[in-house]
Amino acid sequence: MSHYESPLRETLILGDKSYKDISDDIAAPIEGKANKLWWFVFGISLVAFLWGVGAIVYTIGTGIGVWGLNNKINWAWDITNFVWWVGIGHAGTLISAVLLLFRQKWRMGINRSAEAMTIFAVFQAGLFPLIHMGRIWNGYWVMPIPNQFGSLWTNFNSPLLWDVFAISTYLSVSVVFWWTGLLPDFAMIRDRATKPFQKKIYSLLSFGWSGKAKDWQRFEEVSLVLAGLATPLVLSVHTIVSFDFATSVIPGWHSTVYPPYFVAGAVFSGFAMVQTLLIIMRKVSNLEAYITRDHIENMNKVILVTGGIVATAYLSEFFVGWYSGSSYEDFTYLSIGAATGPYAWAFWALILCNSVFPQLLWIKKLRRSFTFSFIMAIIINIGMWFERFDIIVINLSRGHLPSTWTQFSPTSIDISIFFGTIGFFFVLFLLYARTFPVVAQAEVKSILKSTGSFARKKEAEAEGRSQDSLAKI
Amino acid sequence: MASNKKYWTSPMELKDSSIVEKLSKVEFEKEIPTDEFLGDKEALESSSTTRRDFLKYVGFTTAAASLAACEGPVIKTIPFLNKPNDVVPGVADYYATTIADGFDFANILVKVREGRPIKIEPNKDASSNNGTNARVQASVLSLYDNHRLKSSTIGGKTSDYTSFDKEINIKLAQAKVSGQKIVFLTGTMASPSTDKLIAEFKVNYPTTEHVVYDAVSESAALDAMEAMYGTRALPNYDFSKADVIVSVDADFLGDWNGGGFEKGYAANKVPVHGKMSKHIQFESNMSLTGANADQRFALKPSELKFALISLYNEIVGGSLTSKVTLQDAAIKKAAFQLKKAGSKAIVVTGIQDENAQLLVLAINNALQSAVIDTTNTKNTRQGNDTKVAQLIADMKAGKVGALIMNQTNPLYTLGNTKGFTEGLQKVALKVAFATSPNETTKACNFVNATPHYLESWGDVSMQNGQYSLMQPTINKLFDTRQFQEAILSWNGNTTSYYNYLKNNSSSFLNGKSWNTALHNGTADVVTSTTVPTVNAIDITAVGSALNATTSSAIELSLYTKVGLGDGQQANNPWLQELPDPITRTSWDNYLLVSRADAEALELKNWTVDNGAMNGSLVDINVDGVSIHNVPVYIQPGQAKGSIALALGYGRKEGMQEEMMTGVNAFPLLNKTGNVSITKVSGEHKFACVQLQHTMMGRDEIVNETSLHDFINLKKDDYNPRPKFSLDHQPVTADEADLWTKFDDTIGTHFNLAIDLATCTGCAACVVACHAENNVPVVGKQEIRVSRDMHWLRIDRYYTSEMTKEKGTEEGIVGSGAYFNAQIHPEDQPEVSFQPVMCQHCAHAPCETVCPVAATSHGRQGQNHMAYNRCVGTRYCANNCPYRVRRFNWFQYAQNSEFNFNMNNDLGRMVLNPDVVVRSRGVMEKCSMCIQMTQTTILQAKKEGRAVKANEFETACTSACSTGAMSFGDVNNPEDKVAKSQDDNRTFRLLEFVGTKPNVQYQLKVRNS
Repeated sequence: MSHYESPLRETLILGDKSYKDISDDIAAPIEGKANKLWWFVFGISLVAFLWGVGAIVYTIGTGIGVWGLNNKINWAWDITNFVWWVGIGHAGTLISAVLLLFRQKWRMGINRSAEAMTIFAVFQAGLFPLIHMGRIWNGYWVMPIPNQFGSLWTNFNSPLLWDVFAISTYLSVSVVFWWTGLLPDFAMIRDRATKPFQKKIYSLLSFGWSGKAKDWQRFEEVSLVLAGLATPLVLSVHTIVSFDFATSVIPGWHSTVYPPYFVAGAVFSGFAMVQTLLIIMRKVSNLEAYITRDHIENMNKVILVTGGIVATAYLSEFFVGWYSGSSYEDFTYLSIGAATGPYAWAFWALILCNSVFPQLLWIKKLRRSFTFSFIMAIIINIGMWFERFDIIVINLSRGHLPSTWTQFSPTSIDISIFFGTIGFFFVLFLLYARTFPVVAQAEVKSILKSTGSFARKKEAEAEGRSQDSLAKI
Repeated sequence: MASNKKYWTSPMELKDSSIVEKLSKVEFEKEIPTDEFLGDKEALESSSTTRRDFLKYVGFTTAAASLAACEGPVIKTIPFLNKPNDVVPGVADYYATTIADGFDFANILVKVREGRPIKIEPNKDASSNNGTNARVQASVLSLYDNHRLKSSTIGGKTSDYTSFDKEINIKLAQAKVSGQKIVFLTGTMASPSTDKLIAEFKVNYPTTEHVVYDAVSESAALDAMEAMYGTRALPNYDFSKADVIVSVDADFLGDWNGGGFEKGYAANKVPVHGKMSKHIQFESNMSLTGANADQRFALKPSELKFALISLYNEIVGGSLTSKVTLQDAAIKKAAFQLKKAGSKAIVVTGIQDENAQLLVLAINNALQSAVIDTTNTKNTRQGNDTKVAQLIADMKAGKVGALIMNQTNPLYTLGNTKGFTEGLQKVALKVAFATSPNETTKACNFVNATPHYLESWGDVSMQNGQYSLMQPTINKLFDTRQFQEAILSWNGNTTSYYNYLKNNSSSFLNGKSWNTALHNGTADVVTSTTVPTVNAIDITAVGSALNATTSSAIELSLYTKVGLGDGQQANNPWLQELPDPITRTSWDNYLLVSRADAEALELKNWTVDNGAMNGSLVDINVDGVSIHNVPVYIQPGQAKGSIALALGYGRKEGMQEEMMTGVNAFPLLNKTGNVSITKVSGEHKFACVQLQHTMMGRDEIVNETSLHDFINLKKDDYNPRPKFSLDHQPVTADEADLWTKFDDTIGTHFNLAIDLATCTGCAACVVACHAENNVPVVGKQEIRVSRDMHWLRIDRYYTSEMTKEKGTEEGIVGSGAYFNAQIHPEDQPEVSFQPVMCQHCAHAPCETVCPVAATSHGRQGQNHMAYNRCVGTRYCANNCPYRVRRFNWFQYAQNSEFNFNMNNDLGRMVLNPDVVVRSRGVMEKCSMCIQMTQTTILQAKKEGRAVKANEFETACTSACSTGAMSFGDVNNPEDKVAKSQDDNRTFRLLEFVGTKPNVQYQLKVRNS
């Protein structure tokens, strides 16, 4: 051993893996053939995606009127889905950048997929601000492009414009960060590839990675720099998304607590989505050794903390609204009026899914259960969707003037587009799982031998291996 | 037999016929060498097209074909070859004319652009009837109704007028010979020249009779006037002279006696030196008038009659027997106040009962009321129900040989159409004059298509001493002929009606020239001053007859709505889409039921998921006549035990399918028997634009005060401005302002002022805005899901059954039970109206959030909307606290899914060329009629002068009959809005949000 390892260091990779085992495990889905389950799930996702594309084409061709919106509730599922997807896209960067800076080695098993999820989620998110425009064909006007229309320029006061910059910055930094990490892994696949076409493609994707010491040095440096750049983005993106609401004058939206509360909510929902995907993926792609119970537990802890922040924010919103004594705050999304009004079901869906059920994660046994974690992740995903739905629809349905109060109900097109994006997301993720190295194998190899002797011993005992096999590593 | 005529094909034939002969046989001089080309197989095969050539041909033809396909449709605009003298493209002409369709009467100005009438405005220079209601405003669209009669027909076949008249003359002669009656059945025309024409006709045909029939009749009032004053005309009322007004079921702000009283009424609704009128209303269903009353008491229709007797007893000191009503105490109080006000008091009633009308005349006579004018009477309702009944009897008896109908649709509006249909079959000559096909034209063998009033000549005398002229504002759109032209022709008179009218009018014009009168549209004739003598009336008999009215468990009243009135404009989409001011529901009529009765019968209104309202259905049965599947609307203020249904709906003939809304209530007219309603299965889908009827404890939205507080309290007590805490000091929104201040005291700075004390909620402004700004009609389903496009809406609030005081008492404030109680209106609520349009905020929340700066602030204070720049994110609409922005969810123009006036060439003629028709995907809203304000500014500039005080107008302010809305420049101290901005009654809507709106509201003072 080149350096001192604490004997207490926890096991990060299970089993008796060699470096080659890792390469084989990671390359297996790419080099092998897809099983029936993959084709089945991919088929369903593709159909949902194409159905969604059809619904989008119909919307653009006919008018936004095919959605359930009206002149009082001008946003509903569109922006709900947008904020939901953006929120989901937060976990990846947090895992890869923030945890990198904090030297949390356990992130290595999951950061690749979490980042992929981020990017694919941001794709879905970006779709909604585009298609929700009445005249999407003029959508490029929101970019500050020099033009010949006269003195026309974008309005830099508008939070919607800030969104454009925030989301596009986030997407580009995330993609670059992700790709940088992928370079040595693509190179590994390239080196193993036997088919010329595959070799060609992966050598293009790996940008000529040679594995020289200089490559590795630059790789480490650029990773750190990008992590430094990406970390503030974790906070900024959802802060800016929350400005869409916080800077407005609408009761329930006009709230200074929104930025921190939205960021916490985003991490909350993002980790839930990572759980959803990885619990399945570790089974399907045989990654049990790399994505372990400890990973799940660690993420559940993050969920507990962020869920706690979110619940505190709900309480403060509820209290401040009530304490203001203003009759205009009687029906905001966190108020007695909402809890007893026509959207009571949505209110309670939010409270139960986001603040009540996740408290079960305090129980260690449940926290370490794959099945329970999966169910909890789904509940949180639903709860966080309702949070955005409540913020948008309940607040807009109960505006300043009671004469304008109304309700919203989605049409089949609203629903189709939402499920279309879920389909699109899974199409991308499933293709990724078959063509990309889904675990950052180069990084993972660096922690293969980091397990402390105490933990190793315990593991070996648990698996009934002889002490001799330890010598192999 | 074949023709022997010889035709030359060319001049060559004349010179040398042989060439022609040769050419006729062989078309081409040389034979085309087809054989040479196709016969030689080898040559054909060798003349191969190369691959390159082939591709060239394919490329060229494809390109050519696609280019040809790309060509857009060509719409030709044809300029004038010679410019007509009075048409300057881009400059509007205004013509004074008069509407008199039998239901609505008004002196109006018609705005004509490039030869097309596009807007109706009130003729404010006229001395009376110078207000326009919603239907008058909308009548310009009826001109461009695609369903109009386009030519006259005999037995369904198109006919020219020569043969039309020929056949009619024959039949008239037959009737004359057989001694049968020739009857003119018309609506109220109030036209002196037409009366003269009919009189002339009578000379030729002595058996002629003229029967006037009003669908919504005031026959009882006319009978009472005839009995008491000897003149069969309606008394006139000048409510501006009234200090106390007691109305027993008279909707005098609506269509009562032909309408037109709102201006006088409003004159006394603003306290001056602590004095204003007091208006007490007794009625069964919530009318527009009742909603405006200072005090309102609900009574069943039968009880209203008893109330009238009690009122008479109290005032005149009579001792007529009267049954007890629930509101006897209120009647006593009202009588006391009436007596106190003496000649400045007035009692009016709309009960269609001669005895009730007689009692009211007697009361007013006893009060020596100066408000009522029995000398210069009104002519706007002349229908005589007795004569109509007699006519039907005569028809059935075969005594009528010819029936000529104009401006009337008895087969739709008569309570009992069966008798009329039976009688009609025995009439040999049935002539109907109508602009659109209807139930009556269908039953007539002769149908004369008449021009719309905007294409016609005419004269109207709406009240004694007043004379108005009607002139065409556009050439006839179709092959139509006026009623008067037809009579002239039947009279054998060859003069045109124009000349006839001109000659005849001279006696009315009071020395004015024809041209001056035509220019003014109206002329005041010498008014009579001889006060009619009062005939003695046997009041005891009247009282006991009235007291004999039997009450029943459920009593029905029929009323007319602001939108459709008597239903003659039912095919007008603007009126169909206009939300009723009281129920805020459009595209329907419905049975109004009180909450108590609804609960007893398990009738419900409920909100479905998409925010739309649904309701139960009932069958109504009166005297054996049933109407099935009538939707129920639970109406606060409806007297328990009474139900009401609006007339004018349920028309089917000559209507576009989308407009066939509601149920026909006319069959229930004048039925007195037992009323029963039974709930039936199913539900009705309402198109209601306001689903929350109370203010939810946000009372500052429509601020109100009582006269007592207004006089005795300080301004800050009854009209406080919202205060903010800045450095622990209470400050107003101006002082707690984060924005950079702009100097808005230079140039024009627009303000719109809305006086809630004088706004009656009549909705004329809504239609005026619709017409001026090319607002699309979206149809029932879209209205239902809160996608109404009206730029200007009139919010209506009821007081809630749960107040903060009551909640505190019960200890439930802030709980779910409290909020759920707040939602429900009181059973007998006070009503507030509030017109809301874009508030043109100085700190507009919409402006900051638009990513492309499509909505931004103007130098004159408006909040502009650049449709071209809008990408449709709708963020602006979400961030508008007033919810006045309207999104184009679909393409509303030229889209068969929205088959209204913007989907046909005729209907599009009404569009205002100064205002763009918005496309799909853009936001729109009130622009403060920038096209009108710019015209005013440019006009002044052209004339080298400053804009005069109060010269600026918008569509809504010019349509407002009561002057509740005014518009102008606050930087011009002479402007009304400049003066009103610092008025004690002025407040800004949601001022605490800090938006600094440029719309002022003046709070309502209730004299309760």
